[in-house]
Amino acid sequence: MSRLSDYFQTDWQAMTTNDWIGTILTVVIFLLMVGAYFYVFRPKNREKLEAMKHIPFEEDNENTGDPHGRK
Amino acid sequence: MEASLERKYNFDVVRWFTIMAVVYLVVGASVGVYIAAELAWPALNLDSPYLSFGRLRPLHTNAVIFAFGGCTLMATAFYTVQRTCGARLWSDKMAWFTFWGWNLVIVLAVITLPLGLTQSKEYAELEWPVDILIAVVWLSFTINFVMTIANRKSSHIYVSNWFFLGMMIMIVYLHVVNSLAIPVGLFKSYSVFSGVQDAMIQWWWGHNAVGFYLTAGFLGIMYYFVPKQAGRPIYSYRLSVIHFWALMFGYVWLGAHHLQYTALPDWTGSLGAAVSIAMIIPSWGGAVNGMMTLSGAWDRLRTDYVLRFLIIALAFYAMSTFEGPVMSLKTVNALSHYTDWTIGHVHSGALGWVAGISIGAIYHLMTRLYHTEMFSVRLINFHFWTATIGTVIYIVAMWVSGIMQGLMWRAYDEYGTLAYTFVESVDAMHPYYAMRTVGGAIFLLGAVVMLFNILMTVRKSLSEGSLSKARALPAAA
Repeated sequence: MSRLSDYFQTDWQAMTTNDWIGTILTVVIFLLMVGAYFYVFRPKNREKLEAMKHIPFEEDNENTGDPHGRK
Repeated sequence: MEASLERKYNFDVVRWFTIMAVVYLVVGASVGVYIAAELAWPALNLDSPYLSFGRLRPLHTNAVIFAFGGCTLMATAFYTVQRTCGARLWSDKMAWFTFWGWNLVIVLAVITLPLGLTQSKEYAELEWPVDILIAVVWLSFTINFVMTIANRKSSHIYVSNWFFLGMMIMIVYLHVVNSLAIPVGLFKSYSVFSGVQDAMIQWWWGHNAVGFYLTAGFLGIMYYFVPKQAGRPIYSYRLSVIHFWALMFGYVWLGAHHLQYTALPDWTGSLGAAVSIAMIIPSWGGAVNGMMTLSGAWDRLRTDYVLRFLIIALAFYAMSTFEGPVMSLKTVNALSHYTDWTIGHVHSGALGWVAGISIGAIYHLMTRLYHTEMFSVRLINFHFWTATIGTVIYIVAMWVSGIMQGLMWRAYDEYGTLAYTFVESVDAMHPYYAMRTVGGAIFLLGAVVMLFNILMTVRKSLSEGSLSKARALPAAA
């Protein structure tokens, strides 16, 4: 393995069914990750997603009945 | 009309899990300190097989990971899913089944492990009947959690629930596959995997127990309790979403980095190391996200001791998620593997991150579950410093000991002969083993103080009648 190209050499003929299933799943999941990055960091979705950060505080506007006022 | 969360939600099971978590922290850390002392002073095993390091070490790891960690995860998951979904637990009976079932697993571990009944799989030592019980109880925990989410009042599922759910699903999968075994008796079984496949499956489980149970689950705690204790929403919700998916995608690849320079194919170790390095990015993204929640309110750290626990835990999370990937690199691994450096790394994650975030969350929970102030805030401060100083002493001792071990084992003279015998390396470690015991004992002292503080807070709540007053209030809409 002295040349860089050696690291990218693949014996396609030797690929088994399991190898293909693993390879395809890996590529699909990688593409889904790329899709997730795109969705999350798309400026259009910023406001919608960041609004969710307030969920843990929604009940704080209600009277919780705690005599010490803890939320 | 006054609304009472006590009637709206099931907090009874959360209270019991919370108290038991602290009890198990003291028990697990006590066994840890004892076996640490055994390594420094071997006579402490008293020539009893039941007290030998080999039998008590799995008891220590099971007590801290599954008893303390498990009860903490179950308390916080049941609490946060109700609070963020605005829905009561789907089944109270199933929640109590989870509580008693999980505690039964712990009792069985306390009985079987000192007796030497073990599958000899690290972090999966318990024999097959207990493994089946674990799977049933864990499924009851998962189903109750999922069904509570299904009954939620809001359309969105808050990110802490994603982390908890990711952990639950992956642990079912990992536990069942790694525990597949052929029983040859009630207390003995053999893994269905053999040789290198067995090793690969074991460390696929082993590292994912770290990745999903000790990381994803406790990140679920972080994403709820840091914002709540700080009184400010998480710094970036978008970053938390990416943190979640990157963690779920990345962690499953890492197990092979535990098996560098073994019979495992070389490329699997390289792949494990490469993805480990890549995982620094989401891990640090998550740590920064948690810490930046305090942006503009850093002064709170001066007075809020609970917040200190949560934030120092994130610092340890960032540190150990950098150290781990570096140790997975073959060049570093050649020095670090099989040495105490690994033990130091594990404890910076376990004591600094897992215990730190758990302790912060438990103190936060106590005041809300018992509707009173903590018995002593000064004792929380004392606990913070003992936990931090104890952890630092422990990990520094193990770093020095581990690197020294690695260097002594590989040193050779001009004739190519090893420069040191193995016994010489063991002898050289003694002062660091003593130092580790001291660090662990300081951490344990803090845990004992925490248990005292927690029990006194319960007593205070009972004498004030604050819990019964809260229970008497009408239920929230």
